[in-house]
Amino acid sequence: MLRASLAAPVVVLFALALIMPLAVLLRQSLVEEGSSRFTLANYAAVVTSLAYRRALLNSILIAFASTALALALCLPVAVYIERSNSRYRNALAVALTIPLSLPGIVIGFFVILLFGLTGAIPQLSLLLTGERRFNFAYSFGGMLLGYLYFQIPRVVLMLRGAVSALSQDVIDVSRTLGAAPWRVYLDVLLPALFPALISAASVSLATAFGAFGTAATLSRGFRVLPLEIASSFTESFQVERAASLSIALAVLTTAILLGLGRVAERAQQPRRENDTPLGS
Amino acid sequence: MARQRQRATDPVMAIGQGFTLAAVILCLAPMPLLIVVATTANWPLGFWAGGITINWLREGWETVRPYAFFSVRLACIVLVIDLAVGLPAAWLIARHNFIGRQALVALINLPLAIPGIAIALALILAYPLARASGLLLLLGQVIYTLPFLVATLAPALAQPALVEREAVARTLGASAVQRLWHVTLPSIRSALLAALILVFTLSMGEFNVSFFLFTPLNKTLPIELYSAYITNRVEVAASITLIFLLFVVPAAVAIERLGGSKIGQA
Repeated sequence: MLRASLAAPVVVLFALALIMPLAVLLRQSLVEEGSSRFTLANYAAVVTSLAYRRALLNSILIAFASTALALALCLPVAVYIERSNSRYRNALAVALTIPLSLPGIVIGFFVILLFGLTGAIPQLSLLLTGERRFNFAYSFGGMLLGYLYFQIPRVVLMLRGAVSALSQDVIDVSRTLGAAPWRVYLDVLLPALFPALISAASVSLATAFGAFGTAATLSRGFRVLPLEIASSFTESFQVERAASLSIALAVLTTAILLGLGRVAERAQQPRRENDTPLGS
Repeated sequence: MARQRQRATDPVMAIGQGFTLAAVILCLAPMPLLIVVATTANWPLGFWAGGITINWLREGWETVRPYAFFSVRLACIVLVIDLAVGLPAAWLIARHNFIGRQALVALINLPLAIPGIAIALALILAYPLARASGLLLLLGQVIYTLPFLVATLAPALAQPALVEREAVARTLGASAVQRLWHVTLPSIRSALLAALILVFTLSMGEFNVSFFLFTPLNKTLPIELYSAYITNRVEVAASITLIFLLFVVPAAVAIERLGGSKIGQA
């Protein structure tokens, strides 16, 4: 009885403010515009419309590209932060978690400050070479940099836990056997951290698919799904279209989280017996 | 050969150090640049072109002051609701194995998997009339932040030492309220603090959910930031961003110190 009353507030709140609204969203995506007749036309439009297909492909492209970059950059970072005995280790760790608290729009603005038309780097290049270069903020490159920016802290945080659980012997043994450093990363660390890398990738991909602020600030022509949802709702008032796009996006991110989560779990299983409950 | 290797730094760590420096520079470079742009009289002409000024900062502060106060107030209300709803749930999840526990955990974590923009759209479609009051903005932020509060509190509440101390207090005759106040809350102090700062920071910076739910009377700081990015001078936009960072960066550092960093949406 006591237990039920403790769970009640959260269950009632989530039922009213999340589950019910999502059910309404789903229903809205399955009716004809302006009527209540059942139709799959809104979903058909998502697949057949050139603009939406483009947006979907763009979303997939930028999510996977930025995730791949983030994983490649952050694996050595996580190893260094967990393994080094440098005095600055803690400061570096703090510096790399700051972006977690920044909304996507601020990250977009950072890219504009650095690589916009009057950005710092193009201004420096104008000073040094007499030519305004590297002003790519509003192109795919600028968006990619913005996405990478918000993924770095997420991926580092997820990999650090896995690196700290890794035995130092693994690295030391392969080093004394004469393995080149890049071989240590590829042949030793990559397989050992595989489950963590998959988990980090799933969070990174899901974040990228849902990212709205960064795209809204930087996109000039490179449309991604969240932008199409926003514009079909606020500009063209096609509620049903916005609803079906939202459901498609939510299903996509949930599928990635669940699917890759399963892969990571399976990869971790053989290692289970080494888990020590006294780790912390 | 062996001596040489000892003297030189381990190349595996050297690679790590190089990548770490690159990542840190990328993450921090925008901050000093923000200060430069905010204090430059005419930024499009170059670094500190036209001299150093604090006029943009003053103008930025005048522009965002009402929204900053609104955001702080909203974050405080979100905090109170999160705590009232989330603390009991976290305790339940940490202490009891019951039928439906997995389902409860999945329910609370559901907002992490759904893009903020979809949560907002769902709320508007379900309660079109409640938008004007600002209630939807509040609900959206509560739903979005609650998983983080529970995820930070549950592990702290599950510590075996705390369970033991509570049992001792009970055998000594302490009431449930006394146990909560004198045993449980002091023991989870740093997790609780981390969770509170985390929720506050997430609410202050939330954009994806708020973008659909705000009204002219219920406008948050990030929404005002966005309109400054679209319409205002770059110096003013930089000034407002700088002011915003003063609210969130110290909080972020505190969270990391308390060991509570959690991963949110971008």
